[in-house]
Amino acid sequence: MKVLLITQTRNKKGQPARTEQPLVTDVLLVGRGTDCKLYLPDPRVALHHAQIRHGSDGSNYIEPDAGTIIVDGNINRAGKLRPEERVQIGPYELVVQPDQPGYDLVLTVELIEPLLEGEEEVRSKVKAGLQSTWLSKRVFSWTAGILILLAFLAWPVISALDREKEPETANPMSFATAPKADVTPDASWDVGPLASAHASFGRTCSKCHQQPFVQVKNEACEDCHKAIGWHFPLKTAAAQAVHKEVFPETRCVSCHRDHKGPNGMVRTDASLCTDCHKDLKTRHPKTMTPDISDFSKDHPEFMLSMVQPGVSSEGAIVRVPQKDKALAKENSSLKFPHDIHMSAKGIRGPDGKVKMECANCHTKDEAGLRFKPVTMKEHCQSCHSLEFEPKVTSRQVPHGNVADVVTTLNEFYAQAALADTPIDVVVEAGIRRPGERMSETKRQAALTWATGKADKIAHDLFEDRVCFVCHQITPVAAVAAADGKEATPASWKMAPIAITQHWLPKSRFPHSQHSTFECGKCHQVTGSKTSADIAIPDIKSCRDCHGGNEPMRDKARGTCETCHGFHTGSHKAGVPAIIPGMNQPKPLLKQVTADLPAAGAKK
Amino acid sequence: MRHRTILEYRKYRYLKLAVAVVIVSILAFAFYSSPVGRYGGTVTGYALGTVGALLILWLMWFGIRKRRYRGSSGNIQGWLSGHVYLGTSLIVVATLHAGFQVGWNVHTLAYVLMMLVIFSGFYGLYAYMRVPELMTENLGEDTLDSIILKIADIDREARRLAVGMADNINQVVQESIEGTRIGGGALAQMRGSNKHCPTARAVTTIQASVRQFKGDEARSNKDLYALMLRKQKLVERARADVRYKAILDFWLYIHVPLSLALLAALTAHIISVFFYW
Repeated sequence: MKVLLITQTRNKKGQPARTEQPLVTDVLLVGRGTDCKLYLPDPRVALHHAQIRHGSDGSNYIEPDAGTIIVDGNINRAGKLRPEERVQIGPYELVVQPDQPGYDLVLTVELIEPLLEGEEEVRSKVKAGLQSTWLSKRVFSWTAGILILLAFLAWPVISALDREKEPETANPMSFATAPKADVTPDASWDVGPLASAHASFGRTCSKCHQQPFVQVKNEACEDCHKAIGWHFPLKTAAAQAVHKEVFPETRCVSCHRDHKGPNGMVRTDASLCTDCHKDLKTRHPKTMTPDISDFSKDHPEFMLSMVQPGVSSEGAIVRVPQKDKALAKENSSLKFPHDIHMSAKGIRGPDGKVKMECANCHTKDEAGLRFKPVTMKEHCQSCHSLEFEPKVTSRQVPHGNVADVVTTLNEFYAQAALADTPIDVVVEAGIRRPGERMSETKRQAALTWATGKADKIAHDLFEDRVCFVCHQITPVAAVAAADGKEATPASWKMAPIAITQHWLPKSRFPHSQHSTFECGKCHQVTGSKTSADIAIPDIKSCRDCHGGNEPMRDKARGTCETCHGFHTGSHKAGVPAIIPGMNQPKPLLKQVTADLPAAGAKK
Repeated sequence: MRHRTILEYRKYRYLKLAVAVVIVSILAFAFYSSPVGRYGGTVTGYALGTVGALLILWLMWFGIRKRRYRGSSGNIQGWLSGHVYLGTSLIVVATLHAGFQVGWNVHTLAYVLMMLVIFSGFYGLYAYMRVPELMTENLGEDTLDSIILKIADIDREARRLAVGMADNINQVVQESIEGTRIGGGALAQMRGSNKHCPTARAVTTIQASVRQFKGDEARSNKDLYALMLRKQKLVERARADVRYKAILDFWLYIHVPLSLALLAALTAHIISVFFYW
């Protein structure tokens, strides 16, 4: 076949230039092989890419060899080449031209996709530097920053302000404003678990944090804690001035910080007290309180708070140094020798000899802090019976009031005389037959006898035998002599009872926590011959087991708050301090005068 | 004169400053305890918190300062030295500010972010101390540019030789020239190698077909093999270079966004504690 190859090239401006090359061959081999007549020297072309034949029908046929051909957009279509048809071989394009005389085939060949060569090509394959990738510091930064601000600032603030609009209920203990959801957006602000008492209104932050950007105010605490006491009573203007002087800036939250766990709000460190009390005189020179820094070092001897009978109508509490043996004598006006009652040999009781124990009379109160008052009825009367008539052991005089005793005696003997009760003493009034009416004379005689008998027995009880055993009683004659009048019956004077129930009311001492010890370890009473003895342990006994602020070998800690409270100022001096969380003893003087508890003595 | 690192800047001036900050913080923490414990809400806590927040702002200012070539406040080495040492001291300041307390809240979030920023900074410092050395070792007299020029020369020569070779040889050479990529996406840059590298394939293919040829063709094949082998080494070095550059950069893509996240969390922390004071 005769072929005319027209090779077309273009200059920089894109204008074509042609070179024509006629050639004769059997088969027109196309490829980059040097044996190919249509030589396409490009690496993208196969050595023997395709071949074109001249058919016997006068048409030209193309078929692919080792390469891929695209004929008018059809891949590897072998077949007849028609004029105007375009064949793509690698980067080359062949276009079949109209027939020219003398040639079987006229083809133009053009390199339409020249190779990228050299440096430019290599560079197009290099992609270095993270800034050329999807990574972006700017996008990451803005995203993270904005998300955090939205989630942890904007959302909680909006929700908090929104909740503030909800109406507050009248009852401060009602937490109707508590958000419905247990977890609110500002939960992410929560620095720690609340105190157990505050956990019930947990997420209602505004209960305490009443105003944004304002510190929690005392009023927020006092909304609920109305009855909390000051450190000392603020009854007088002077006391208030002192309070201001020693607590100038102190707020509730100065000591009580919440969000520190269930028990985190109460300070138990020694410095709570010693910060001021170690040099109280420099803060408040007029103070009567001595400087104290540590229980184990400079705590003064205990002061006993004693009921002092007769000082005022209510009685009074006097503070007495325990060391002062002359002053530290109880004046209860009762007679009670512990040594006889606690004798190791035992003591005679209604059913024979008994060995008494402390618990026979001293029973712990319900809280296990201290002891119930000793009462005549419960603790004494089983031995110290108030019988008055040996023949009638079922009757006893009432306890508690002189007039009642005398009335009971009068009534008893009058009844016996008038009703002709057959007890031997009544014989003096004469014997009546059954059904016989008593004559007026006899009646008078019987009553006279009865009154005399009652008076005799009363004298016997009060001044000699029963009441006298425990009580200090001024005899009728002495009372009359003192008054300068004639003796009247039934005018015995009984000294008022003044039993101190709480000797150390400024401290707390839970007896139940010390029950591993015998009572006698602290209260030495077995040798006590008189009720004037005070068996309250002194500071040395406490120090036997308790150390001070710092841990000590073989000793329990003895920090201030082990015994003392802070908020004690709402209570009258001398009345036992009400310790939060512990039971509340009754004011003791009232108790003393109301019950007149008595203790028995040896018969 | 020996090269001085930023850590030794002005005879450890900022190390001394950082140590002073740490010691003062520890003393403040140890000796000024409050009745309500040691945490951010006490006088010491507020003081440590203020120092910490100011330090964070100053450290973040470095990100702006380092782009200003005509800064009047000290040179960039000094700033970087201070950035490293004072940033490290922040670990102590912030931990003491928190009083060793953590929780699931925005406060601890800020703390954790700060720690991440600091430790990513430590990695960055390590990278800055170690990687340039490795880069020099890798490149020798070359630069990435000169390696590219060398590869281009090899490609041209290889192409010329391959045109006359069997299709399979020409094919792999062509693929090596067209398909060998250096760097690429973030992962490819970081990885620094390519399991399916066309140049490596070309090397093995050419080596395997050594017995196919005789005479001139065998010689061309041998030359081609040598060229591809040289190219492979160059490509590996170029990739290592791209990888080292990525290592030098990558930690910043953590350090900087975390810093901004920290700034946001710090803002939320400060506002929230005073919102509910």
